[in-house]
Amino acid sequence: MKIKRILIANRGEIAVRIMKTAKIMNIETVAIKTAVETNAMYLSSADVIFDNTEDVSEIPVFLDIEKLIAIALKTNSNAIHPGYGFLAENAYFAQKCIDNKIIFIGPSPDAIYKMGNKTIARKIALASGIPMAMGSEGNISNEEEAVVIAEKIGYPVIIKAASGGGGRGMRIVRKSEDMEKMFIIASKEAEKAFNDPSVFVEKYIENPKHIEFQILGDTWGNVIHLGERECSIQRKHQKLLEEAPSCAIDDILRTKMGTMAVQIAKAVDYYSAGTVEFLLDSERNFYFMEMNTRIQVEHPVTEIITGIDLIEQQIRIANGEELKFRQEDIKLNGWAIECRINAEDVQAGFAPDPGKIENLSMPSDSCVRVDTGVQAGSSIVASYDSMIAKLIVRGKDRKQAIKNCKMALDKVWIKGTKTTLPFFRMLMRHPKFQDGSFTTAFIEKDLDKFYLNSEYEEMLAAWLATKIFVEENLNDNSISINFEHGKEMSPWLLNKRINQF
Amino acid sequence: MANRKLQITKLFALSSENRKFSFSLPLKQTIRIGKRDYEVKLKNDEKFGTYILWKNRKYPVEIIRSRQNKFEILFNDISYTFTVETPFSLQRMKVLNSKRDKVVSEFIRSPMPGKILDVLVREGSGVLRGEPLVILEAMKMQNEIISPVNGTIVKVTAKPNTNVMKDDLLVEIKL
Repeated sequence: MKIKRILIANRGEIAVRIMKTAKIMNIETVAIKTAVETNAMYLSSADVIFDNTEDVSEIPVFLDIEKLIAIALKTNSNAIHPGYGFLAENAYFAQKCIDNKIIFIGPSPDAIYKMGNKTIARKIALASGIPMAMGSEGNISNEEEAVVIAEKIGYPVIIKAASGGGGRGMRIVRKSEDMEKMFIIASKEAEKAFNDPSVFVEKYIENPKHIEFQILGDTWGNVIHLGERECSIQRKHQKLLEEAPSCAIDDILRTKMGTMAVQIAKAVDYYSAGTVEFLLDSERNFYFMEMNTRIQVEHPVTEIITGIDLIEQQIRIANGEELKFRQEDIKLNGWAIECRINAEDVQAGFAPDPGKIENLSMPSDSCVRVDTGVQAGSSIVASYDSMIAKLIVRGKDRKQAIKNCKMALDKVWIKGTKTTLPFFRMLMRHPKFQDGSFTTAFIEKDLDKFYLNSEYEEMLAAWLATKIFVEENLNDNSISINFEHGKEMSPWLLNKRINQF
Repeated sequence: MANRKLQITKLFALSSENRKFSFSLPLKQTIRIGKRDYEVKLKNDEKFGTYILWKNRKYPVEIIRSRQNKFEILFNDISYTFTVETPFSLQRMKVLNSKRDKVVSEFIRSPMPGKILDVLVREGSGVLRGEPLVILEAMKMQNEIISPVNGTIVKVTAKPNTNVMKDDLLVEIKL
């Protein structure tokens, strides 16, 4: 193995995840300690910790190319794994690694660049004969041009940032009067988020399913797919739950879409792990959306049904090894569901709820896998995303996986912040989720409440409130009340005190 | 000052949606469903913290806020707000409510700390329920702050490219 020591240019659960596989492969890892998370969990999994707490720069170190290269050289790391987010899809960073003789665990800078630029990616897909939503051929420069294209392909259309991703710089336009306003908003947003104001227009597919294919390619020209994941449960283009396989895909469609996904990957000589995203409409037509040139948050569901460790494959491919399996060796076994447990308040429209995790307990059943970068005492800080843990549950089929997931969700105990748990508890019982007929519009259109509770739960909460009131205010425990009472008190003190009742 | 002492036999927990739960005093460790009483146990565990044991199931609980007779309880990860009232205070509240003037203004506050990216309304303009007012960026997400009411904007305190704290006033809407 050429790769001896990997610098993890990331944090949180994905840093922990990468180090776990590296350890099995006997490769050393280096983690970076930052001032905002000095006792983060990922630090305890590393062989070497690079202390960057003195760094007072405005940009997080995980976005600082020069500094990361310097750290890799200083710590004798001969490879860098970027994880997801941050610099994972930055072609310049990948090139910089190569220039400094550091192995970048990911695809070539050329593939990252081509797939990262949505207009170039569209052209490549078009040339490879991949079905696509109709749209502008390249970037458009003003709203008049957008109106002309929209009239040709028909409303609704969607304006997308050329360098975009993650839902930013996207606007749906339903009539020509709205084009000017939306064009300006999308372009502005694109410039702010991606440093590139260019946008393009395409036909907006109403209520589709989000289906993506996991790709693996090596530097020897082999490319295979590992089946699909369905990620239709999303809010504002942020995925909340992913599953593999998808109940909307049968073997024939899987082969058809998988072949297309492999084809587009081959068009850019793709190697490493990657994901080709499609939209699937109600008539089972599919359209290429984009290719993500990184490991995805939701990669575990594919690992569970294929038995393949994707991080290991990324490392082996970066090491120059040839894939050990061919397309016909890939068999999908059972069903896997991943719930993203985030520090968000579902009762306040999924508003982030950062804070300290006072207590955390996860199920340890054999059908459950938990990927997390958080332990009791960790903080969910406002400078990063709000993920606490990924709860990955498997079953022999979808029905069993849902049943197991229901059970597992009730065993997750997190204290200190509000979480997305109530959302998933509701989702597992929702008929549209159970029968598989949900689309990406599910959260916005099919739900009027993001959580579920029984009337008894509210009654028990009322009982508790009354109990605290009684303990705090009533003398002789029943007959008199002290109206002068009522100082403010720390909730944690209160929690300690109710234990004495 | 001497404490005012009153005889009370009952307490009411009023939810924020005006549901009323009544409990007789002394407070029992049981809750009646239909004709059966079920035992409620408040327990504490080293590993999990505080929980309620009811019908053989453990529900994590947490007191988020407690001020005078106002309580916010997190029960099984869902929060509930209650005011606990005695029969006397409940009566007084009813009288006060009937005399109180109708609310005239809706104050839109920031739901979380973040950065204002854009302000979409001007003072004097009319807004409809559901219309976006402000775009707030927090934790890598852009959030539209939506008007909960129909009305007229009377004050805009949010400014683009400024940071706000949780509960900072953004917009005031006259109903």
